[in-house]
Amino acid sequence: MPTPAVDVRRVSKSFDGHRAVDDLSLMVPEGAIYGFIGPNGSGKTTTLRMILNIIGPDSGSIDVLGEPASAATRDAIGYLPEERGLYKKMQVRRLLRYYGRLKGRTTAELDPVIARWLERLQLSDWADKRVDQLSKGMAQKVQFVAAIVARPRLLILDEPFSGLDPVNADALRSAVLELRREGTTIVFSTHDMGTAEKMCDRILMIFQGRKVLDGSMKEIQAEYGHDTIRVALSGGLSALDGVAGLESVTDHGNYQDVRVRGSANALLQQLVTRTEVRHFEIMHPSLADIFIRIAGPAAATEGAA
Amino acid sequence: MTRILAVAQNELLGLLRSKFFIVGLVVVPVLVGGVMAFMGYASSRVDREDRHFGVVDRTGVIYPAIESAAARHNEQAGSGMGRSGPHFLPERLDAAAPNDEDLTARLSDQVRRGDLFGFLVIPADVLDATSTAPVKYFSANTSYTTLSSWLSSTVGAEIQRQRLTRAGVDPVLVARLTKRVDVPSYGLVERNADGSTTSARQVDEVQRFGIPIFFLVLMFMSVMSNAQHLINTIIEEKMSKISEVLLGSITAFQLLAGKLLGIVGVSLLLALVYLVGGIYTLFNLGRPDLINLGLLGWFLVFLLCASLLYGALFQALSSACSDLKDAQSMLQPAMMGLMMAYLSSMMVIRAPDSAFATTLSLIPPLTPFAMLLRLAMPPGPPIWQVLLSVVMLMGTTTAVVWAAGRIFRIGLLMQGKPPNLPELLRWIRK
Repeated sequence: MPTPAVDVRRVSKSFDGHRAVDDLSLMVPEGAIYGFIGPNGSGKTTTLRMILNIIGPDSGSIDVLGEPASAATRDAIGYLPEERGLYKKMQVRRLLRYYGRLKGRTTAELDPVIARWLERLQLSDWADKRVDQLSKGMAQKVQFVAAIVARPRLLILDEPFSGLDPVNADALRSAVLELRREGTTIVFSTHDMGTAEKMCDRILMIFQGRKVLDGSMKEIQAEYGHDTIRVALSGGLSALDGVAGLESVTDHGNYQDVRVRGSANALLQQLVTRTEVRHFEIMHPSLADIFIRIAGPAAATEGAA
Repeated sequence: MTRILAVAQNELLGLLRSKFFIVGLVVVPVLVGGVMAFMGYASSRVDREDRHFGVVDRTGVIYPAIESAAARHNEQAGSGMGRSGPHFLPERLDAAAPNDEDLTARLSDQVRRGDLFGFLVIPADVLDATSTAPVKYFSANTSYTTLSSWLSSTVGAEIQRQRLTRAGVDPVLVARLTKRVDVPSYGLVERNADGSTTSARQVDEVQRFGIPIFFLVLMFMSVMSNAQHLINTIIEEKMSKISEVLLGSITAFQLLAGKLLGIVGVSLLLALVYLVGGIYTLFNLGRPDLINLGLLGWFLVFLLCASLLYGALFQALSSACSDLKDAQSMLQPAMMGLMMAYLSSMMVIRAPDSAFATTLSLIPPLTPFAMLLRLAMPPGPPIWQVLLSVVMLMGTTTAVVWAAGRIFRIGLLMQGKPPNLPELLRWIRK
């Protein structure tokens, strides 16, 4: 079995009596894109910080690229924090050199990489401008270059696409995929379930410090079965009023996703007697559905109880 | 080490470009120099009027002395564009009047009309040794003292001279006998190895106060000029999550060490610029004998320790805060401590060998100021006290840097309310 890029074994971390991460284990295969999802405050950032060796775990162990997480393994990791992380008054090129030098690279090694990625992300003309002169999208792209300037083997991205317009988001997305093709392992945390579904080879969900999902999208969906039915009814949402056996209804306007306690056939029989059924599809639950089932208000109430 | 140097270089460049450094290095000296130059220029240019005044000399013998003294004064003040002061233009006035009140009322009207700037009334019996009648000067502009002071000394000296002559005493002899006796201070005579002696040097004000105060102010300025920039940078790094990126590349201690190195570099640079300026000034004043290389060496040792000690303290406390306002409140006690160190050192100047001064100079945070002053003031403290203070200061500096590193490590990732003292102590022990 090849060495995983990240191997977290039974790690726990508490702050002032609050357990932020609880007995977490995960394994990121080398070369994969690994998605971290979970509600705010669920322990994602703490886990990422432990992988980066910014903070240490209270118990358990973490290996990065085959070695225990340490100051040495940090050099092989690139990190993009959510939204910010740049000196506003610094020139783009000087900033990128500085971040690269902190990873132990020389200016001679860094300059070609900086030139390549600034050009790739259409930022060459901004190389000698100050960060506070850039738009938000540009700054986000500079931050991305800062994370990869030292050619990391493992890239950790915290919400890399948040707040970006579709053009810039697409540019970053294709850059991430290019890095993966070059062999970089990518771990990214996101609240964008669509992006996670499309890009990630594996997805991990943390909730209240514990792992609640871990696997490929296919494995996760298989675990949750074909329990979602998408219907489009001429009567709209109101046509579902009083239908027996409904467990949940998610209204999307033109169509509704429903879950039932009984069989799909029983639901279809009920619907055809009430209204015209224009669309009826048995499908896997989306990642967003699964997320809400695990961490939605019902789960929070259960957790509280 | 290369990473620490990368941080140091970044800090150094940041500090050199910061307005605080530019203010410290360029603006303050230019401002002080400019103000002094302006004052010097203005003092010789502000009053270049003709002061036309009347003299009622009832003795009949004083006026000629006033007239000739005014002529000398006017010649010294110069003329035309190069004139550096007022010209005094006396005019002998008719003393005939029914009484003094009528006379002074009439002359006062003349002053009000602008015919005269003021007038002087010298009573007839003023040359009598038993006379108590005063010489009176009248003017509308009572706040203008240049003329009244000049008249006081000129007329006073002439009256004294004439009284002495009347009494048969030679005024020249009196002046010679009553000449002020100076008591200059000297250091001690040095006995050389070959038995010969080196004469004692006369101590002057530049050596007694100028040099110690120069070093004290320079030390304070070098340490303080970094403080605001440090706070701003650390708060920016925390608020913008830059610290998270940095800690993803280097350890908190490497980051702190790099920043401290940058601070020390800036402090040394600032100090060197001023020291070179000071040495140049001493050469220009013809006082290169006041350049003391031993003292310069001690200054650099104390500056290094003070920059590290206060720099580490400022960084640690800033790192525990999440915004500028909190950081400024948190740093207030440290700033007050620094100000206390600076101000209490002023007392050391009065008695550098007192028990008070000795105690202050052995308290590590105060050592860079108090001991430096004692070293700058002859004969200086015993060498054992200097060495003891340096050892204690270095020990304290090491401890503060270590504790700062512990606080820094946790503080950089903390958000929200700043910690109180017990929490800070817990961070250090963690």
